[in-house]
Amino acid sequence: MSSFSFDVQSNMTFAQKFQQISWGLVFLICMVASVGFLALYSAAGGNLEPWASKQMVRFGVGLVGMFIIAMIDIRLWHRFAYGIYAIGFILLVIVEVMGKIGMGAQRWIDLGFIQLQPSEFMKIAVIMALARYFHAATLEDMRRIFFLIPPALIILAPVGLVMVQPDLGTGGMILMGGAAVVFLAGAPVWIFITGIVGGIASLPVAWMVLHEYQRERVRTFLNPEHDPMGAGYHIIQSKIALGSAGIEGKGFLKGSQAHLNFLPEKQTDFIFTLWAEEWGLMGGVFLLALMALIFAYCGWISLRCRHGFGRLLAFGLMVNFSLYALINIAMVMGLLPVVGIPLPLISYGGTAMLSLLTGFGLIMSCNIHRDSKLPRM
Amino acid sequence: MSLPPLFRRPSTTLIGSRRSTLDVARGRLVFVGIVFALAYILVAARVMDLTLIQGELPRLARMTSPDQGVTNEPVIAVAKLRGDVVDRNGVLLARSLKTASLYADPALITDPDQVAKDLVRVLPDLKYGDVLQKLQRKTRFIWLRRNLAPQDQYAILNLGHPGLNFQDEAHRIYPQGPLTAHMVGFTDIDGHGLGGVERSFDDLLAMGNRPLQLTLDVRLQHIARRELKAAIREFSGIGGAAVIMDVNTGEILAAVSAPDFDPHNVTQKNSDSLFNRLTLGVYEMGSTFKIFSTAALLEIKNVGMGQTFDAREPIKIGRFSITDYHGQNRVLTIPEVMMYSSNIGAAKMAEMIGTQSFKNFLKDVGLMDTVQVELQERSRPLIPNPWREITTLTASYGHGIAVTPLQTVSAVASVINGGMLVHPTLVMDGTVNDSGKTKNTKRNAVRVVSEKTSHRMRQILRLVVSDGTAKSADIAGFQVGGKTGTAEKPGGHGGYDRKRLLSSFIGVFPMNKPQYVVMVMVDEPKGTKASYGYATAGWVAAPAVGKIITAMVPVLGLVPQDIDPEKDMAAQMRPYVKDKTGKQLVSVGVE
Repeated sequence: MSSFSFDVQSNMTFAQKFQQISWGLVFLICMVASVGFLALYSAAGGNLEPWASKQMVRFGVGLVGMFIIAMIDIRLWHRFAYGIYAIGFILLVIVEVMGKIGMGAQRWIDLGFIQLQPSEFMKIAVIMALARYFHAATLEDMRRIFFLIPPALIILAPVGLVMVQPDLGTGGMILMGGAAVVFLAGAPVWIFITGIVGGIASLPVAWMVLHEYQRERVRTFLNPEHDPMGAGYHIIQSKIALGSAGIEGKGFLKGSQAHLNFLPEKQTDFIFTLWAEEWGLMGGVFLLALMALIFAYCGWISLRCRHGFGRLLAFGLMVNFSLYALINIAMVMGLLPVVGIPLPLISYGGTAMLSLLTGFGLIMSCNIHRDSKLPRM
Repeated sequence: MSLPPLFRRPSTTLIGSRRSTLDVARGRLVFVGIVFALAYILVAARVMDLTLIQGELPRLARMTSPDQGVTNEPVIAVAKLRGDVVDRNGVLLARSLKTASLYADPALITDPDQVAKDLVRVLPDLKYGDVLQKLQRKTRFIWLRRNLAPQDQYAILNLGHPGLNFQDEAHRIYPQGPLTAHMVGFTDIDGHGLGGVERSFDDLLAMGNRPLQLTLDVRLQHIARRELKAAIREFSGIGGAAVIMDVNTGEILAAVSAPDFDPHNVTQKNSDSLFNRLTLGVYEMGSTFKIFSTAALLEIKNVGMGQTFDAREPIKIGRFSITDYHGQNRVLTIPEVMMYSSNIGAAKMAEMIGTQSFKNFLKDVGLMDTVQVELQERSRPLIPNPWREITTLTASYGHGIAVTPLQTVSAVASVINGGMLVHPTLVMDGTVNDSGKTKNTKRNAVRVVSEKTSHRMRQILRLVVSDGTAKSADIAGFQVGGKTGTAEKPGGHGGYDRKRLLSSFIGVFPMNKPQYVVMVMVDEPKGTKASYGYATAGWVAAPAVGKIITAMVPVLGLVPQDIDPEKDMAAQMRPYVKDKTGKQLVSVGVE
């Protein structure tokens, strides 16, 4: 642990870096993604088309991207953190303006070959920018309220833009991911307590601002049976599916709720239900265990990291991933209102898959370059 | 340092505050880790709760006491209850259950205040004020609550108040909910049929002797409803209709009108959704009518396929002008008129047929009279009176004459099935109708077109799907044929509104030996980004029919047939057809 080890690590050869890739984590990611392929194959009635095959290709591409990102020197990410944030923010503004000019809610930028969703990209950018900001912060810094104003803006500006899209789910995720980084950086605890208490106190106001469809979701969550054919339908069908699964499940490709189309959005938000209906309690707990292991692995990477930037970056991305997984699964089981959040690495969707693997790439980069010496500012 | 000692390492403080930042971070990281670990455990516990505690254990409990399920089944006195309605496979569509209804005899009630309080406690949805007011009326009979659950009846009996009495009643339930709403219909609270077969077979059902068996198949009904609703949603339509019918017997296997309603809960609020677009709505159907102009031409004028019609110039009559949507601006053969859906060509065909012959033909296939089906919600077609020359021309492509979608479908079936008139029917053979007659579909067979004309029409309609405007309805192995129709709805000033469309597709398969006709109609669809802004039938209705057919295949166990492209029904039509660039169509097979 003497100081010269910094210099040794910063000039690793390509082969050394490659060896340092967290292969255990790669294995876990591949396992989870494979669960997704099986579920998507089943969702299409035992068919690779239209979902599983595309998802596999995206995963393959994303995996290559992940390795490339992992190999890139962490100092580079540190240097360009603010720049990446700025680009993401500009894209977000462009989407917002285009949405105003075009029709209805606009969340995409169509580049022809790919549809870019800046809010997805922004989740990572916010965490990067915060990690950079707090990289060299001292405890004294953290107690100065003026020091905490820029990070508040870094979080709230994109959150505001995403929320008016309106995409409450993604906005909330950016907010929670950012808050987690600020918490880890050592901001005083009273800020978070005030924030939570204030949030609860302002719930009545929020209720007024919510769209009618969002209020309906909350009402449905509180009592799904009040409208079993309408808004409560998703949750009730989802619970029926899980209840009929039992310990061992109905068997691969035999989930009747999903295949008879009782279960809506089975390839995206409700894919956990499809999985658990066919593989039962065992399958559900197995998948949760995989997710928890990924979480633990990333936490360990964050703990081992010797510079603030990497520690905060890995931690923020890990919190983000886990929040997605937990909220999605809690949602399909009726523990949380339906908020339209996908199950990471498993739900069908291109942008989410790519942004997740980008995130894991960054976490691995933190691990490979955990002993790098970063500039103080 | 105001930090608790837990977060501070007592050992070396290397670079002052920087060291303690790390300590804080480690402590907080562990804290967040524990919170998340707990969250994962909580979620896993919920999985266990749903699958094991709420799922597996009750099942095990039922299995260990097998006789319990039987003894719990209430024995329902079927004698005076309204009869069941079932689908063709015996699946229950409507059934009456015996319930108790609560009424009061206020003359026997001494303490209305106390009784009202007790009642509100047992039946929380009653309002104290209402109940009290009812109990104080000077009458000997007043309803307090209809159709009580047994445990509520028990609780009220336990109150022991005199003056509270029960009357046995029947409660009508529809296990399929809105699935068959317009066809099965609904009853009022006294059990009188107010819609669908509940209304048209009211007397028969009231006798309650035998279940009324419909020709519907709930599985196909579900498919048709699902795909219709998906198409309406995708294209933001205001409503629509879908039908699956047997082309030979006229049996309606599925019939949906959207929006639909919950038959348990018919109120003023959803009265708009009671409207049956299939049999009560009349619409100018648009280009699907070209099927009838072409069939009439082949039947009456006995022309060859090579017969051509000049579609280069719009037809102008007075202030009207007939133009083409997919304009080819050349001389078209009969198959080309259908394939490119040429209004000019169809009008010229009608001109050649002649007004009287064309009218007679439409009458023969049942398009001039009220649709014949076992429902009371039926409409007469709107036929212009007097019928002028221009009407013949516009009717040839489905404008200026409005008919119900169901009779259009049955007329198409009659033309395609070999030429025998089809009577659409909703109830199975052997049902005794209200006037006491036993239903029998084997009525006098009426021929509307010759076998040869029918064969020609099958080839042409196959061509429309394999090469023309309805490629998205083509399902490999089933030789789907059909015709799209995109009609503009009448606008405010006696003209037509280009924005408000009625997009429909009538498909028949398999074309070499027709079995089923499938129709989807969407009212006022709007174009989407995926359809490049088009809301025409080829984009809206044809794909929906394709999806319905795809889903029907496994349900009915149909077997696809590999067909040599040269033996495809469309193959013999291709020599008469040039493509859009004017080149002879030589493409073989399906795109």
